[in-house]
Amino acid sequence: METAVKVDHISKIYQLKNKDNPHKASQRFYALKDLSFTIEKGDVVGILGTNGSGKSTLSLILAGISDIDQGSLEIHGEQSLIAINTGLNMQLTGEENIKVKGALLGLKKKEIQRITQSVIDFAELDDFLYQPVKKYSSGMKSRLGFSISLALDPDIFIVDEALSVGDKGFAKKCMDRMMELRDNEGKTIFFVSHSMSQVRKFCKTGLWIEGGQLQEIGDIKTVCDHYEAYVNQLNEMDPKEKKKYLNQKFKKRVLPQTKKGFFSKLTGGL
Amino acid sequence: MIKSIRYVLKENFSNLFRIYSIAKYELLADMRDSKFGIFWNFASPAIQVFTYWLIFGVAWSRKPIEVNGIVVSYLPWLVVGYAIWWFIQPCIQKGCSAIFSKTNVITKMKFPVSVLPATIVCKELFNHGCMLIIAFVTLFLCGYTPGLNWLWILYYLFCAFAFAESVSLILSVLTMLWRDVKKLVTSLIRMFMYFSPVIWECSFNSSVPFYEVLNYIMKLNPVYYIIQGYREAIFYGRSVLDHPMYTLYFWLVVLVLFAIGCGLMYKFKKKFIDLI
Repeated sequence: METAVKVDHISKIYQLKNKDNPHKASQRFYALKDLSFTIEKGDVVGILGTNGSGKSTLSLILAGISDIDQGSLEIHGEQSLIAINTGLNMQLTGEENIKVKGALLGLKKKEIQRITQSVIDFAELDDFLYQPVKKYSSGMKSRLGFSISLALDPDIFIVDEALSVGDKGFAKKCMDRMMELRDNEGKTIFFVSHSMSQVRKFCKTGLWIEGGQLQEIGDIKTVCDHYEAYVNQLNEMDPKEKKKYLNQKFKKRVLPQTKKGFFSKLTGGL
Repeated sequence: MIKSIRYVLKENFSNLFRIYSIAKYELLADMRDSKFGIFWNFASPAIQVFTYWLIFGVAWSRKPIEVNGIVVSYLPWLVVGYAIWWFIQPCIQKGCSAIFSKTNVITKMKFPVSVLPATIVCKELFNHGCMLIIAFVTLFLCGYTPGLNWLWILYYLFCAFAFAESVSLILSVLTMLWRDVKKLVTSLIRMFMYFSPVIWECSFNSSVPFYEVLNYIMKLNPVYYIIQGYREAIFYGRSVLDHPMYTLYFWLVVLVLFAIGCGLMYKFKKKFIDLI
């Protein structure tokens, strides 16, 4: 099997603002810490983790949007991130938005013409297609955004909690399309979702990150079971205990602070 | 340095259609809300020019401007100068937020950030076209007819484009590092207009102490070169060939600015998302 993504000891560091003085960065914080894994081509990876554990950061890094601070990263193939709020222009109509989004994603004029029809069919917006997007309901917006993202043809999809919108019918349609991508076209897919049933049904490999660190990687069923056990255990703790535990976890991610001003930002990077 | 210039140029030239589409749909979105749409792209600069002409030309009865024995009355002189200012001012001002205003795009997809300043400049190029039409109509009504020398406008338009692109490259990155840059530029740009020969010639007469030095300093402003170039092409029948050293100076400044802009862009190309 070919390797699609090779992640080698990567770390991502964020600056935290000071509580008393919002202009000063007080702490540096590991969003991801020393993460390593290898994903093969055609694999479907479910990324699990509690809120704030670094799932979105990881998906931004995998999509090539965000940069890493330490370690090395190898990605073979074009990536595309599918997120909920994909920048639609409120003033323009749905049809124009398809063209804008296509252009933003770097498609040629011909390719845009080619995908337009399939997007229209998939989004099922009918006459609303010619209305400005500001008049759309939130469901319609996400249908349009999602349909455009799905019409692309990258090698690696990164789906960040995008399937949790729209009505059941549309969610199923999206799921079916994703299944098709998985089974017939052999795409590598990273799937971030809090819906355990979706993850169990859809993914092959589970990747559980906790507190920015890799907790477990392996078969989806085992990882899901362990993750669910962990979540239940967290829920059963009494509030004080839980707070103490989370605090400890937070402390582990904090780095010693180095002071940085505007000019050092300019000369020394971040 | 060379690497970063090559990077920015390559990214811009391989994304020409992307730049064009973004500029086009930004313009469309701007117009969509108003009833008269494109009418305002003509009306607002026309009203501006009319105001300046009314105050400085009529109320303060400015004398016609005389250079090398060629006399040009104030209105046509003003309208040409203002046409370029109507291009450069929004390029600098909006160039500051070129990257920041596209937050929702750069956080959601892999995007060549360095094309964003170019989209602003292209969008303003359209407005400049509208303004040039107004300027030409005014000139025509004042009795000027196009000559072959007017073609130099195209060259100076290119100068203006290069200058605006370089400046907005720098400012867009600086605004990401330090949001105050935008406020600073917004405040300074009004001052900058009076240091450019838009509504006055930017030359002090001999009653001012050190007037020669001051006039010399005024000329160091690259915008001076562009505005003066437009006027020379239209009114004075002169061209770039008449002042090669000044041309060399202008391009040197633009090149340095562009190199700095590219350097900044290259350095922070993947960091922008963390700076939001």
